[in-house]
Amino acid sequence: MNYKIDYKELYNTSPSGYFCSLPNGTIVDSNKKFLELTNYAREEVIGKKNFTDFLSLGGKIYFENVYTPALKLSGTIEEINFNFVKKDGTTFPVLVNSVEVKDMEGIHLFTQSAVFNISQRKKYEQELLIAKNKAKDLSNQLQEVNKELLSRAELILKQKLELEEFNQHLESKNRQLSSFAHIASHNLRAPVSNLVALKNFYNEDIGLEDKAMLFSKVELVIEHLNETLNELIESVKIQGNKDIIHDPINFDVVFDKTLAILDTQILISKAVITSNFSEAPTITYPKLYIESIVLNLLSNSLRYSAPGRIARIHFCTEVHNNEILLIAKDNGLGIDLKKHGHKLFGLNNTFHRHPDSKGVGLFMTKTQIESVGGKITVESEVNKGTTFKIILKKNRK
Amino acid sequence: MLQKLVTRNNITIQGTGSKSMFLVHGYGCDQNMWRFITPQFKEDYRIILIDLVGSGKSDENAYDYDKYSSLEGYADDIIEICDALNTKDVCFVGHSVSAMIGTLAAIKKPTLFKKLIMIGPSPRYINDSDYFGGFSQNDIDDLMETIDSNYLGWSSAMAPVIMGNAERPELAAELEQSFCQNNPEIAKHFAKVTFQGDNRIDLKKLTTDTLVIQSKEDAIASVKVGQYVHENIANSKLAIVETTGHCPHLSGPNQTIEAMKKYLI
Repeated sequence: MNYKIDYKELYNTSPSGYFCSLPNGTIVDSNKKFLELTNYAREEVIGKKNFTDFLSLGGKIYFENVYTPALKLSGTIEEINFNFVKKDGTTFPVLVNSVEVKDMEGIHLFTQSAVFNISQRKKYEQELLIAKNKAKDLSNQLQEVNKELLSRAELILKQKLELEEFNQHLESKNRQLSSFAHIASHNLRAPVSNLVALKNFYNEDIGLEDKAMLFSKVELVIEHLNETLNELIESVKIQGNKDIIHDPINFDVVFDKTLAILDTQILISKAVITSNFSEAPTITYPKLYIESIVLNLLSNSLRYSAPGRIARIHFCTEVHNNEILLIAKDNGLGIDLKKHGHKLFGLNNTFHRHPDSKGVGLFMTKTQIESVGGKITVESEVNKGTTFKIILKKNRK
Repeated sequence: MLQKLVTRNNITIQGTGSKSMFLVHGYGCDQNMWRFITPQFKEDYRIILIDLVGSGKSDENAYDYDKYSSLEGYADDIIEICDALNTKDVCFVGHSVSAMIGTLAAIKKPTLFKKLIMIGPSPRYINDSDYFGGFSQNDIDDLMETIDSNYLGWSSAMAPVIMGNAERPELAAELEQSFCQNNPEIAKHFAKVTFQGDNRIDLKKLTTDTLVIQSKEDAIASVKVGQYVHENIANSKLAIVETTGHCPHLSGPNQTIEAMKKYLI
């Protein structure tokens, strides 16, 4: 099919603006649309105007520094956004595509340019840009708020943990209080009842000799009561001393010191005493307590050694589950735990009628151990021996 | 060290010769601007071409906004490159803003260049009391908008434009070329530094033997500005070439080469 196409007419009536310029920018031809867009008459443009005459100064810089070199280097350029200036000085945004037209030798003859008015597109672009910036601002705001929320959440968590810790502290204090109340009522009741009975006896019709005997009994009970009170007060002090200084302790050093203190008793008893603290040679612990604990346990083992066999006593440290344990083992008289187990660590309890036994030590020892956050347990078999296991604390040097 | 610089500034070296010619492009494009000039000097000079950091195929990650907020940052790079290449007897050719960069480098290290050729230089673009730079602050703002709006048209992924061109067979081997497509954010920053700068006082400090090549019709750095530059550099000559536009080395390479050769004998 042969369509009669008048190219000149097509060119002239094209919906995009065309113009043709020399290498130096002088416009040598343009179509109707271009003249319409720029509001010029043909004779004002052809041979008279330069490409750059349609640009603002800012646009000229871009033209010289980017558009021209790029066009020169690759022969075509597309989608360059300029603001074109109309005859009346107003501007409108355009996209420009240009191509170099050359002759057979590659000499640049003309530059062909197509101009598209993008006024509407530009408005849309600008709206998009505004929206984009707004979204960016919102996003930043959200990030700020989020940061704030996170830090508040952290704060709440921290406060929750503090509250929990405080709660545990209160519970522990509560336990101490009720234990104290129990001990006080239990251990003070008996001696005071004794005193009441003795008083009643004293007020009855009895002779001087009997009164003297009664009074000596009263003295005993008062002494006992005094000791009990002292011990209670001491234990309250220990429990209240939450911030006691932890010293660096070397178990060998403490043990040797204890051996020196009990030197005489050890010689008399001919006991064989061994130790092995290699698994946990050191600990950070209140010095007074650890010395008291070791002294108490060793002296108990010596006191309650079985007559008729050589006393073998062994102290050592072990590490289990990140906890440091102190273990005191002997082959002495042992304890009937079924009978006396529940009273073992109570105040003023003796379970062997041993002349030197005071039994005070274990109550204090337990108090000291627990005030630092540890635990004491005992295993024993009558006439075989006793092992005390003390969890001193979580593994901290 | 040298390899790091080669990557950073896309250094290419052509030609042979005991003397070196170090050509640096101006605002807007990259070392490709020199493609019509360098063939004429390849036999006598070792030709060093670079892309300023942030332009062309330079390492974009090396663009430090603080360092390059002044032309001194680029001047330091020039000195660093000359040191690494152990250049002697250098002729520095700087277009537009790079003429000023070369000036700053030469002031910092006076023995750096034997000769300095400036093409279309301008020490300051914005008019000032009785100084004619050619532009008002408004015009520069307008330029920023144009840079911005040409960014809007491009995706931030910046795919290189494939310029396969049947009529330019010499380009066939270089199918994927991105001429003058620099990171728009950096382009904007560089434009600010270039067009809002003022290096007039530095002209007087320059002692190197200088040639100013001035295009007869240049809307960016006019003849008036070229004359100002020449008058303020003690040891300088001025050559006005019959070309139009701000890039005579592109639009009128023969005239430019002629002016250069005349000066370099």
